[in-house]
Amino acid sequence: MKRDKKITKLAKKLVELSLDNGVVTEAKVAEVLSGLKQVQHRQHLTVLKTYLAYLRREIALQTAVVSTPSSLSDATLKEIEANFTKIYGRTISAVTQQDTSLIAGVRVRVGDDVYDASVAGRLQRLAENVH
Amino acid sequence: MKAIFITLLLALSLPLALVAAEDLHSAAQVAHGEAVAHADAPAEQNKLTMITEKFGVELPTLFAQMINFVLVACVLYKFAVKPIAATLDDRQQKIADGLQYAEEMKIQLAAAERERAEKVKEATIEAQRILTESREQSKQMIEQKTQEAAAQAEAIIRKASEATELERQKMLSDVRQEVARLVVLTSSKVLSRDLSDSEKQTFSDSAAKELAQAV
Repeated sequence: MKRDKKITKLAKKLVELSLDNGVVTEAKVAEVLSGLKQVQHRQHLTVLKTYLAYLRREIALQTAVVSTPSSLSDATLKEIEANFTKIYGRTISAVTQQDTSLIAGVRVRVGDDVYDASVAGRLQRLAENVH
Repeated sequence: MKAIFITLLLALSLPLALVAAEDLHSAAQVAHGEAVAHADAPAEQNKLTMITEKFGVELPTLFAQMINFVLVACVLYKFAVKPIAATLDDRQQKIADGLQYAEEMKIQLAAAERERAEKVKEATIEAQRILTESREQSKQMIEQKTQEAAAQAEAIIRKASEATELERQKMLSDVRQEVARLVVLTSSKVLSRDLSDSEKQTFSDSAAKELAQAV
């Protein structure tokens, strides 16, 4: 579906308003939604959908999904958050996700970027390098 | 033809004229000397008279016959001899023309024969030259075709070799990938089964620290 440029621009602006020090916060999002409710945009449903899509993308960019077959300590997660915050230059929060297919190790995904330090990933790369 | 006719007419007229003259002479002599002398040539005159009487020749009849003959001769000359003579002259002219034409044709035939012989000779030389050129061209063409065929054969062999090599490389690559896939699969299963939870945890922590420190 082709989005209207004005709506896209509005959605991006709303996402910017949803940030608090570069981080999407629930309170800011609530404020934005409240504001939208008051304004009653003519195409409010489309605006909301576009805002949701950009908001998800923003959250994905600010979130490091740490996949691991076992649990990780909070300190380790904090280290990972700090490292990726430093790498991307924005606040990154880490969330864990259990994935037994990795066998052992960790895989971190930030937006479209994937950092794989798992046994399964290494084996997969090994297989791909064999020609 | 005209000359022949005139000669014939004179030849026929001459005896009659002689007879007529004889008759006139006889008549004159009879008229002149009937009374003079019957004793000088009675025998000769009697003979001539006898002949003329015997053949029935009489002077008026003879003149009439001569005139008739002349008339008939003139008519014949006018309506028969003249056209026939013209026809004969025409035919003779045609024959002469034909003979002349035949002679010219003979000369032309000889010239044509000479020309034909020259043409045949030239054609033979030209044919020989063309044959020689054709042989040379065919020889060159055979050599060229042989070289092309050899080049094509080489190209086909080279392509076949390349295709075989590519096929072999692809097969080797497929085999390697399949082996790698099986190795990875087996390794994954073995590692999943044989690694203890503590080993997995240790490896995960180590990997996490590695990611946490990588800048």
